Amino acid sequence: MERLTIRPRDDWKETAERHGFTFHTIDGQPYWDETACYKFTLRQIEDHLEYPASELETMCFEVVERAIADEVVLRRLAIPAAFWDAVSASWRNRERNLYGRMDFAYDGHGPAKLLEYNADTPTSLYETAVFQWVWLEQAMERGLIPPQGDQFNSVHERLVDALGRIGIAGPLHLACARDSGEDRATVAYVEDCARQAGLDARFLHMDEIGLDPMGRFTDTDDLTISTLFKLYPWEWLFEEPFGLSIPTSGCAFIEPAWKAILSNKGLLALLWDMFEGHPNLLPAHFEDDPRAADLPRPWVRKPLLSREGWNVDLVGDDGSSPAPVKDGPYGAEGHVAQAFHPLPEFAGNRPVCGVWLIASQPCGLGIREDTSWVTGNDARFLPHIISE
Amino acid sequence: MKRSRKVALVLMGAGALTLTACGERDTEVGVFETLDQCMTTTGMTQELCADAMATARGQHAQVAPKYTSTADCEADFGPGQCEQAPYQTSSGGSVFMPLMMGFMMGQMMGGMSQPLYRSSDDPRTWRTADNRTVGKGTGLMRAPASVAKAPSVKTSTVSRGGFGTRAPQMARTPTRSLGG
Repeated sequence: MERLTIRPRDDWKETAERHGFTFHTIDGQPYWDETACYKFTLRQIEDHLEYPASELETMCFEVVERAIADEVVLRRLAIPAAFWDAVSASWRNRERNLYGRMDFAYDGHGPAKLLEYNADTPTSLYETAVFQWVWLEQAMERGLIPPQGDQFNSVHERLVDALGRIGIAGPLHLACARDSGEDRATVAYVEDCARQAGLDARFLHMDEIGLDPMGRFTDTDDLTISTLFKLYPWEWLFEEPFGLSIPTSGCAFIEPAWKAILSNKGLLALLWDMFEGHPNLLPAHFEDDPRAADLPRPWVRKPLLSREGWNVDLVGDDGSSPAPVKDGPYGAEGHVAQAFHPLPEFAGNRPVCGVWLIASQPCGLGIREDTSWVTGNDARFLPHIISE
Repeated sequence: MKRSRKVALVLMGAGALTLTACGERDTEVGVFETLDQCMTTTGMTQELCADAMATARGQHAQVAPKYTSTADCEADFGPGQCEQAPYQTSSGGSVFMPLMMGFMMGQMMGGMSQPLYRSSDDPRTWRTADNRTVGKGTGLMRAPASVAKAPSVKTSTVSRGGFGTRAPQMARTPTRSLGG
């Protein structure tokens, strides 16, 4: 694994804008960054990222099995009791999942360490699947990178294929919150893939969803919503006014409700409890578990439901909890304590390797780079190549 | 090769990538006005056809577009082309819907059939209950795969805005995306 400084394509911004990548620059700061790329060997990709992600996914399924059979676990994950049946029914009925992203700290020498699993509302899908792929083709064609390179990235193909196989009858509705351009663009991409899979894809905002007299969700044309792809966290759906209608709505959700177990940072503690010592796991415990006190200091304190690195603290030698690096609205639901495993450093930058799983198959890699020890929403996305 | 062989966008951009844009997949469907028409089509049996027609008829009242006056219904479907639906409005008024004019059998024969309608402004074209165009004529034909699936049900909405309430609260922090 190397970080190669390279020449950006002269026309990358125009290319991005022509293809719906509207958020390539955010508040004047680059988000898409092709001034460098990461180079991996095929062995590093397959042995250190792809295979471990596949094994971890299987372990995650065992966590789900355990959670739905044990109310203590569901309570620890702060899943409201009113939804326990819906969560476990979604798993027992084998409701199909579409996607997720496992974030690893990896320096090329393995083993990669799982930092967290964005199993419910992962972002950076479009830039991984499409724009990074286009970059590779063009950069090779223009001699900006060595020829005959490859990329760990069949995300697009798998996504179209998976959407076609989920078995969606009738229209697929897709929704996200209003006023997030990035989320809207991500959903527009899933919508595009759904059309390519032969589905009748229809977008609406979350706040446009209605309820009919029989408790079914409706769209803006008063048609019932039978399948909903939502780029909107399960823990928020649980708490919102329509949440209690979910179990009897007859609506199938993508991601399914059982993903609420995996998108929770409590997953890290449950995985360690069940698979202690696994080479791809970092020691982790619920914060109120006595074993948390035995973690070497500093350890990392993560809210169960934080996003984009908000409210993630380092807990130092004196046991104090310094002010969070990014103070946000998360954490009331509890925390996990995870052993601190610093991100590797390449020329002052700290990359996180996000391995994408489509229908539970690892099939792509997106790298976000930050200069800080917590990767936040100001990280840059860098492309990668596979080359020997 | 560890990457996609091709990447296509059909909606998002102008196709200047090395893209092969592909349209919606077609699937074979059978479209019939009567049981007889269905039974005399090659590959069909009386049992398949009777099942399909019964399924479509069973769905008809539930999925057909609904109106609160005959006049509104006939404006869309033509004079004498509407019937009273087995429903009432919340205030006890009558509900009207177009007559079922035919039925469509999906590729998985039997299980996926649905009622078809014809609107007065385009009477030769078959439409599903959610107003998607199937095609003209009867017999076996190609139709977009999504049309052959179970229709969404036209209903009424009693409230909106019960989702999406957390997002503005969380947006007090400079959040770019609600994902992670």
